[in-house]
Amino acid sequence: MVEKFHEELKALKKEVLEMGDLAKDMLQKAVESLKNQDTELADWVLSKKREIMKMDDDIEQRTLMLLTLYQPMAKDMRTIACILKMITYLTRIGRYGKDIANVAKELSTEPHIAKLVSIPYMADIVCKMIESVLKAFKTEDLSLIQGFAERDDNLDALRYSIFRECLTYMMEDPKRITRCAHYMMIARYLERCGDHACKIAEKVHYMVTGERVEIK
Amino acid sequence: MAKNNYIIEVEDLNLWYGENHVLKDICMKVMRNKVTALMGPSGCGKSTLIRCFNRMNDIIVNCRVRGKVFFKGKDIYSPNTNVFVIRKKIGMVFQKPNPLPKSIYENVAYGPRIHGINDNEKLDKIVEKSLRAAALWDEVKDRLEDPAMALSGGQQQRLCIARALAVEPEVILMDEPCSSLDPIATAKIEDLINDLKNKYTVVIVTHNMQQAARVSDYTGFLYLGQLIEFGHTKQIFETPQEELTERYITGRFG
Repeated sequence: MVEKFHEELKALKKEVLEMGDLAKDMLQKAVESLKNQDTELADWVLSKKREIMKMDDDIEQRTLMLLTLYQPMAKDMRTIACILKMITYLTRIGRYGKDIANVAKELSTEPHIAKLVSIPYMADIVCKMIESVLKAFKTEDLSLIQGFAERDDNLDALRYSIFRECLTYMMEDPKRITRCAHYMMIARYLERCGDHACKIAEKVHYMVTGERVEIK
Repeated sequence: MAKNNYIIEVEDLNLWYGENHVLKDICMKVMRNKVTALMGPSGCGKSTLIRCFNRMNDIIVNCRVRGKVFFKGKDIYSPNTNVFVIRKKIGMVFQKPNPLPKSIYENVAYGPRIHGINDNEKLDKIVEKSLRAAALWDEVKDRLEDPAMALSGGQQQRLCIARALAVEPEVILMDEPCSSLDPIATAKIEDLINDLKNKYTVVIVTHNMQQAARVSDYTGFLYLGQLIEFGHTKQIFETPQEELTERYITGRFG
């Protein structure tokens, strides 16, 4: 019976990793579709919305099932706790991807203002954080999530610089307000995704060591 | 007065049944008015250990004990200890309910009687108080003269707890008190344990880890006669420090 539990938990971990990959893909491709004004790619992201929600529900239900059937202890319990929180954060990341894809479609008809360098750069940092934390979850190697606080600070700084930059464009020409407001929102989404990656890192740290830490 | 918080203190306790070294260098402290749980696989020495706390092992032939067990600072294995007083102060409840083949009333009154109380009015009071404390009074108050054997398993076990409480112990040792009971009776005993710790100190041996996690404040894990880990229950079940404990409680054993 206990063996069955451990097999089930292993399978669940694998699915969380798949879900994580999907969330990251959604975010990454959304920003790509924005940058390249590729509406097809944006549609791909939008088409994944249901899938990630379904994964969230499915993993949650199976996790709760394991909890009630086996009442796990120690690291098993911490893994379950980590998974339950993680899937919420991953769903949020995926949904920000969806939000960005919607904007990408809306902004696809006219050229971008300036070169839009900082947004893909932010997305790159966030996606690398998500990759690292998923790998840490898989391998339990906590060195992978070291330096998350600095990476997150970097994201905050980038968001602020995008904000300032957009303000300037808007003041120069009020016609740019809609577009720039979208850029600012996207920068904000990406910053939030970085926060979610940090929250996942906290949960992974708890899963591995049993110790609660704050990464910010 | 930190020392006073510990009602039982075990120092380097070793025990042999003949050649068989059953308990090895056990050191632990039982906090007053708390529930302490002992868990571990079958044959690890849990029951033997709690039976040392009121010298129940004395009656086993070939049993040898070395080390010290202090009850309120006094070594219970010292030659001038009165074993009867110890067993009155440290009561015990066993795995299988073992009521005496007498009425419900007599089961509870038996202890106080042999300790010299014969006044019927006084006995009535003790019986009611003990049955109330064991959460059984309302179920049996109208049939105190019925045979105890007619009660259900869960009621019998609560009767045994009432019987232990009747002699006003300070510590109650419970050796798997719920293992022969159904979930509802188990839940009642667990609620009872929670109530009891206001007045008593409880040490419970259990195979059921979830039960240990639910009812106890402190938990000890025994394996092959050694106390592998002892600490706050929350810590033992959330972040055990020892690899063996971790493996045992997550079922990765053997």
